[in-house]
Order: sequence, then structure tokens, then C-alpha cells
Amino acid sequence: MQYYRAFGLTIASDLNLEPLQSLYDNADADVTIFLGQVSKIGLENPTDIKPLCQQAENKHWFCVPDIARFYITNGNSIIVEPFENSDMQSVKLYLLGTCLGIIFHQRDLLVIHGNAVRFGDKAVIFAGKSGNGKSTLAAAFHQKGYDILADDLAVIDKQGLCYPSYPQLKLWQDTANKLGINTDELHRIRLQVNKYAMPIKAGFYDKPLPVAGLYILQTHKQKNIEFIPANGFEKFKPLKNQTYRKGQLEGLGLKPQHLRACTQLANNIFVTHLTRPSEGFKLDELISAIEEDISLKKMITKQQELTC
Amino acid sequence: MKPSVNEQSKIFWLASYPKSGNTWTRIFIANLMSAAGPIDINQINTGDIASSRDWVEQALGFDINELSHDEIDKLRPLAYQYLSQHSDAIGYHKVHDAYSYVGNIKSNIGELSSKTNKQALFPNSATRGGLYLVRNPLDVVISFAHHSGWAIDTTINNMGNSQQTFYGGSNRLFNQLRQHLYSWSEHAQSWLDAPFDNKLFVRYEDMKLRPFATFTKMAKFLELPSDEVSVKRAVNNSEIKQLQAQEEANMFKEKSNQAERFFRKGIVGDWQEILTPRQVNQIINDHGRLMTHFGYLDDDKKHIY
Repeated sequence: MQYYRAFGLTIASDLNLEPLQSLYDNADADVTIFLGQVSKIGLENPTDIKPLCQQAENKHWFCVPDIARFYITNGNSIIVEPFENSDMQSVKLYLLGTCLGIIFHQRDLLVIHGNAVRFGDKAVIFAGKSGNGKSTLAAAFHQKGYDILADDLAVIDKQGLCYPSYPQLKLWQDTANKLGINTDELHRIRLQVNKYAMPIKAGFYDKPLPVAGLYILQTHKQKNIEFIPANGFEKFKPLKNQTYRKGQLEGLGLKPQHLRACTQLANNIFVTHLTRPSEGFKLDELISAIEEDISLKKMITKQQELTC
Repeated sequence: MKPSVNEQSKIFWLASYPKSGNTWTRIFIANLMSAAGPIDINQINTGDIASSRDWVEQALGFDINELSHDEIDKLRPLAYQYLSQHSDAIGYHKVHDAYSYVGNIKSNIGELSSKTNKQALFPNSATRGGLYLVRNPLDVVISFAHHSGWAIDTTINNMGNSQQTFYGGSNRLFNQLRQHLYSWSEHAQSWLDAPFDNKLFVRYEDMKLRPFATFTKMAKFLELPSDEVSVKRAVNNSEIKQLQAQEEANMFKEKSNQAERFFRKGIVGDWQEILTPRQVNQIINDHGRLMTHFGYLDDDKKHIY
């Protein structure tokens, strides 16, 4: 077994989970990943049945054809059975993505599908539908010198703390081109797609930070960048909608806890709809507009005022 | 004989090549389902587009963002089967994909496998019926050129290209999945050959020139109210002038970035003013057989619309 630290958890694993940060002492693991046998047909008494995904209380089974079958239980165990000839890169992506997402749900943590960037003493989360530019924005902030806490999965506990994931950004070829990053020196995350793993050498923040707010990225056909803050109860729905794989929550029987966690968080953070032109805008302008919007919110202590 | 209807399935596919009346049809359906005045064109929700990444992913229950187009294609039939059988109500789902066949998933996931190595992208088990909208390719060319920001000649070439796709790029993520369009003729032929019974082919020209009879037939086929009052009201509320006025007041969200507006002319026979004889000939060379099949050319190759 190898030991890693990510999302505030110690993870023991039969499989190499690089780029997660390694631990050199065998601490007690919060989550253990085993290579083993996983049912070909699913769970014994599932409460929620999809063609390739089944759930019961604290149990979750899913199968990605040609890659692997996964069995996730009690928020602390993942068993993975790769298909013959499947590549370990692909298996690892599912372990660090969908599987950990399910583990967090089983542990009653709130998971937002988005990135977390450090602004002063707080974390700001950028969420939104796939293809709306979340990763591009995180990479652009990183390039500008901001610390990154998380790419893709922002995990938040009941105290409203966002946990660091691991020091890597995943970039599509187009994003790399936009940011002037040469992908010749990077590894593809899988051979089948033009998406690359970019290690964050400096600029990864590895301690939890309180969440200041959430931007929900959208696009429109107009030419302007628009910030529309949500107020009061309006903040709750977008927060709920940005939850990672929210469709699974009913199946997991976690719905009331999840709604409570969303309400609690909504009371303490800003939620702003950020709409950008779908084409023909400058990334720099978007970044500056966000910086200005955040400074107006006056929720964040500036970096220089922080004590270590 | 009335074709058999798969009552378990809740999906009607609204299939068409681009720029052939699909949006108009969905606006008509939305108006038919609503008792109020003209429906807001930005609020039409008759069902997700078949290529919606979120819709497909919701049925699979795991991330598909880091799978290739071909890998995702293999999973789409299972997703549609699930979505069709787990919907509360019948849905009307836009499709620009050709009726195509995709690779099968590996056999070692037990019962889910099939013995053949190809499966239909839109399996019969997911399909209640398919309405195919077809429009004279001479007019499609002009509308498609405006929509895409392409020159007419480029559009003609693309409409003759068997490899043509929507969202086929591999260097970024799109909120729609890749769609194989094939050529205009191959697209139409693929749906003509689709192996299910409950199909209706409707011409854009008939929707335009014989609206009441045509939309009544469509409403009946789609198991929607088809009485005279309902159909007339929905047809009037979906008139091009009405749609243009709405677009004038508020941008239409389905307009492409390249186009000035979505609801442009919406007329029959615009090609006679726009296309050169050489362009007309090329389209007839490429698509003459299917144009004759759908009644756009008579047996002497004379134009009907």
C-alpha cells in the first residue's frame, strides 16, 4: 500500500495515485483503495438502478466499459477491478474523480463541481456546466500568481472549509493554446484525449480555507461580462445545482443532509452568476472583472495582512 | 396498417439535418402544450437535445468528460434506453445526428452485452417514434451558410461530405456531444433506413404552404392535441413573424455566434434568388436521388419548389 494526502483525507492505495502528495509514514487511512474483484452485474439490493451504475445506502457500484468496475462503500473503501488491457491512467482518473466524489458524498461532505482559487485568507469557487470555462479560469488565475486549492472537485465541510485537492491542473489543448502553454512538455491525462496534466510546482495551497463565495459561470450571446449576485434564498438553488453528480444524492439517501449543508453554506457565502460572452472576449478582461467584483464584496482580508 | 408503438418508451426523436424546421417544430409543440399565448422562444423545453452532454451523463452516473467521442458513442444507446424508460412523460428530443451505428461495449459486463459488434445509436428500446423533418437542400444551403458563417460553396461541399460532424473537435470540451451528420443525402437516407416502424417524414415546404393539414398530422403522430382549435392556435403562435419579433426584442439562445439572427427569412424557394446555376447543379449532382424521393425534383429533373 502507498499513502497519500488529498482533500483533507489520508488515502491508502494499492495503485499509484501520483500526482497526489505522498505520505511517507503509514498513517491511519481515512479511505482505502483496493485492487480486487467487483461484481459484474452490480449490487444485491440496489435502491437506484442505472444501466452502468447502482446504489444502495452507503454502497455504490459503477462500471465504465473497457476501463474498470468500482465498488465504493461507507465513505472509506473503494474496490477497483480494471478490465483486461485497460490502462492505469484511465483507471486512476476515475478513482480521483467520480470515485472520490462518491466517497465525499458518503462522508456527508459538500462537493461542488468546480475549481477553488485562493483570494487572501479565503477560497473562492468557480462552478458551472462543463464547457463553460472553469478550468481555463483556474489556469489563468494560476498563471497570474494566485494559489489553487482544487481543480474540478471543491470539497467543503460543515464548517464551510474548502479542502485542497492535489497539485495539478488538467488542461484541454485549446486552453493551453490560449494561455501560451506548450503541451509538448506535458503528459496527456489519457492517450485517448487531448487533455494534459500540468503539475503545479509553486502556487498550490495545501491547507483548508473558509469559502468566501461561489461564482457560477455561464455564457451568453451578448458582448458584456455580467455579475448578478443572488440574495437570500436565491443563493440556495444554484448552490444545490452545482453539487457534483447531484442526481446521485437521492440514491444515496443523503438528500436532507445535503440540503441542510447547502442552506448553511448559502447563509455564509456570496453566490454570484458570472456570465461572459460565449466568444470573442479577452481572458485578461474577465480576470480583471472578477478581481474587481471580489474586491467590492469586502469579504476577504488581503494577502499582506495575513499572519502565518 | 398503423405502425406499432413502443409504449414503454417515452422518447420521440425530432430528427433533421440542420436548418430544416426543427426549432420551429419544437416551438409549435411547446405552443400546443401550453394554454397561454405565444410561448417565449427562450423557454421552449420539449425535451433535451439528444446530444446534450448533461442528459447523457445523468443516465450513466459517472464522468464522461475525459472519454473520447468514440468511447462516449458506445455508451449513448444505454443512456437513451434508460432515459426513455424512466421519464414521467413523453419527451420530444431534437436530433441532428444521422441514424448511425456505434461500437458495442465489451462483453464482460454480463447481461448488458449483445452478440453483434455494432449497436444503433438510437435503439428501438428507447424509441417511441421518429419525426423526420426534411427541407429542400437548395434552401438548406443558404440557411446553413448564414447559420455557420460559411460561404455558399463551402456549405455545398460540407453538405456533400460524409465525414461532416457537429462538435467533432477534440481540443476542448463542448456541452454537446459529437454528432455525425454525414452528407445531406446520407443523413436523410439513414433515417429512412432506421429499423423501427413508427416514423413520419414531413417536408418543411408542407409546413409552410399547407400548415394546418401538416401540423395536424404531426400533432396526431406525436400524440398531442390535434383538434382544430388547438392546432390553429399553436400554428399562429409559432408564425415566423411572431418568432422574428421575439428575437428582435430578446436574443435567441440557440442562435449561433456566426449568425446575425436565427429566424431569418423562413421562406420556400429562396435559392432561386441566391444560388448560381453552377451551385444548383452541384447540389442536384450530389443529392438528386433523394431530392426526387422527397418530391423536390420531378422525374424530368424539374424543380417543384
